[in-house]
Amino acid sequence: MINVLSGVLAAAIASGTVIALAALGELLAERSGVQNLGLEGVMAMGALTAIAAVRWHPDPYFGLLAAILVGLLLGIVYATATVIFRANQVLCGLGLAFFGTGLSGRLGAPLSGFPSPATFQPVRIPLLADIPIIGNAVFNQPLLVYFAFFVLPPVISFVIHQTRHGMQVRSVGENPGAADACGISVTKIRLLYTCIGCMLAAIGGAYITLAFTPSWIEGITAGRGWIAIALVIFGAWRPLPVVLGALLFGAVTSLGFVAQLQGWGIPSSFLAMMPYLGTILLMAIPILFRSRALRKLSASPAALGIPYIREGM
Amino acid sequence: MNAARGSSQQNVWRFRRRTDVPLWLNILIRLFAVALALVLVSVILQLGGLQPIALGKKALVQTLATSYGLQQTAILATPLIMTGLAVALGMKMRLWNIGTDGQLYLGAFAATAVGLFVQGPTWIMLVLMFIAGALGGILWILIPAILRAYWNVNEIITTLLLNFVAVLLVSHFAIGPWRDTGAAILSATRRIPYEIPAFGTSYLHIGLFIPLIIAVLLAIVMRNTQWGYEVRVIGSNRGAAEFTGMPVLRHILIIMLLSGAIAGISGMIIIAGTSHRLSGTISNSYGYMGIIVAALANGSPLGVLVSGILLAILLNAGIVLQTSGLSVSAMLAINGVILIFAAVGEVATQYRLVRERVEVRLQPGMAETSNAQVVQAGTVPPEKERTE
Repeated sequence: MINVLSGVLAAAIASGTVIALAALGELLAERSGVQNLGLEGVMAMGALTAIAAVRWHPDPYFGLLAAILVGLLLGIVYATATVIFRANQVLCGLGLAFFGTGLSGRLGAPLSGFPSPATFQPVRIPLLADIPIIGNAVFNQPLLVYFAFFVLPPVISFVIHQTRHGMQVRSVGENPGAADACGISVTKIRLLYTCIGCMLAAIGGAYITLAFTPSWIEGITAGRGWIAIALVIFGAWRPLPVVLGALLFGAVTSLGFVAQLQGWGIPSSFLAMMPYLGTILLMAIPILFRSRALRKLSASPAALGIPYIREGM
Repeated sequence: MNAARGSSQQNVWRFRRRTDVPLWLNILIRLFAVALALVLVSVILQLGGLQPIALGKKALVQTLATSYGLQQTAILATPLIMTGLAVALGMKMRLWNIGTDGQLYLGAFAATAVGLFVQGPTWIMLVLMFIAGALGGILWILIPAILRAYWNVNEIITTLLLNFVAVLLVSHFAIGPWRDTGAAILSATRRIPYEIPAFGTSYLHIGLFIPLIIAVLLAIVMRNTQWGYEVRVIGSNRGAAEFTGMPVLRHILIIMLLSGAIAGISGMIIIAGTSHRLSGTISNSYGYMGIIVAALANGSPLGVLVSGILLAILLNAGIVLQTSGLSVSAMLAINGVILIFAAVGEVATQYRLVRERVEVRLQPGMAETSNAQVVQAGTVPPEKERTE
């Protein structure tokens, strides 16, 4: 039983990492007012790039770097369309999602089914890893896991909520007109955070093919990009709840693995539905918030998804 | 350059916002977006060592110059127009139904259930399957619609996530309980005995008229009824609509359910018209392409008829070229590019380049300065970022 519990936790963390990385990236972009629905496509391209790169040069960090560069490239394309040209973010985001999933499916066809030649190895943290049940699951993981759960959330939380720069980012997302009047460059901040968001989504994709399920098949991202966007809403645009949501999502997914291993007799397709249905359930939870204060706390950035056009233009 | 003291007049190119975008410009810019995307893809293909022009010619010949190709295009156009109409209907109220693929699957699923387990005369059965298809689509959008209407939960995500669930559900039944055990088919149900009547010996069936009828009906309802008027008002200014007492929530709910029903019916047409068996692969990303169809048509039901046929030609070209290195995934990627270009192009239609006379006031002592400086001193210089 303890082994099962430890296994569930380990699997929850592993599959939660992918979502956490992408969701934190989306959170940053959305805080600056840009909604990127193309996450799924960026993640797929990141996943493909990572495995293609390590086939060429078998070093997982090389694969990670390549994925980040592709993420940056897609971020620049998306940001150019939505921030500089101010095109409709829903259409451009969907376009990016189709482009990324379609292109990765086409380019990845020759790689289909091959295992990844190089993967991220778990790094054991002494002492902490010896804690019963949770120790091995939490503290014997690849470095990216620690990065996603222990480094990024506090850093993002600090930067966004405690620094002057973070306040500028939030002001751009809430009221770009006022921010512009104060001399903050709306375009620059939105460009920057959209690109960072795409890079983090690509890192999430790279984690899939370099650690989580180290091989390539078409559609390997399985909607995780969309789930990440949903988690940002669920987490009310705050890093810690978003990461906890990712962990919860991971737990739901790993329950499927456990059910399969333990032979509970539930058909595998129904188990595979759980993450999607669970995410919809998560998105419905905030409707239980009856109090005004809680609703206000979970409101989206006011200028989310609205292109900024300086008055008089 | 007029160097006189005091003030001078000067002609400057400026971008001005249009108050009204003419139809021809809307059409032109969208055709341009499609063309630009195809040029981009050709360049990529050329770099990849393929001959894009020869490939394009082959695709066009096999799509438009053969009877089989034309029939195939018409068959592909049917679900594309239907999902396009479903998305376009939502766009009227700024609702995004991204889950038409899932609703299509559920419509097909419900129609199959009726076709497999109920017996009766063909015409009655087809009507029953039609209703079942619509109900399947409605069922699949019901929860996102309620969440969106009453609690403002983002419908893009909820409808999209249900696509994955729908494919899993349909695959489960097609591979499992409903699998055709008699034939050597591993992943589809047995053939459904009720079929939409075909034209003579062709592959075409009279179900092709359904999208046509629905498009015309929607266009009329939107233009000529109070309901259509209210929907348009809510779409352009929700606050004003609420203020005048229009039942906004009810409209959101009805529009979304109707959108789901249309997508569900397209699933029924696929089952009873062309595939005759339910499997997890009956949709060639029709739902996702429907979004592009609707975006290219700018949400107009009659426009959807045109853009649906255009995308059907593209999709068929992609299928024809599968042996030459393209695939359905590649088509999805091309569609993504078209969508981004169309979205950027839409911004371009909102501006126009005009040459305006502007008054340039010169301060004493500035008469000798250069042209550029004069413009800076007197007026706001035109910025590059204003349009595109």
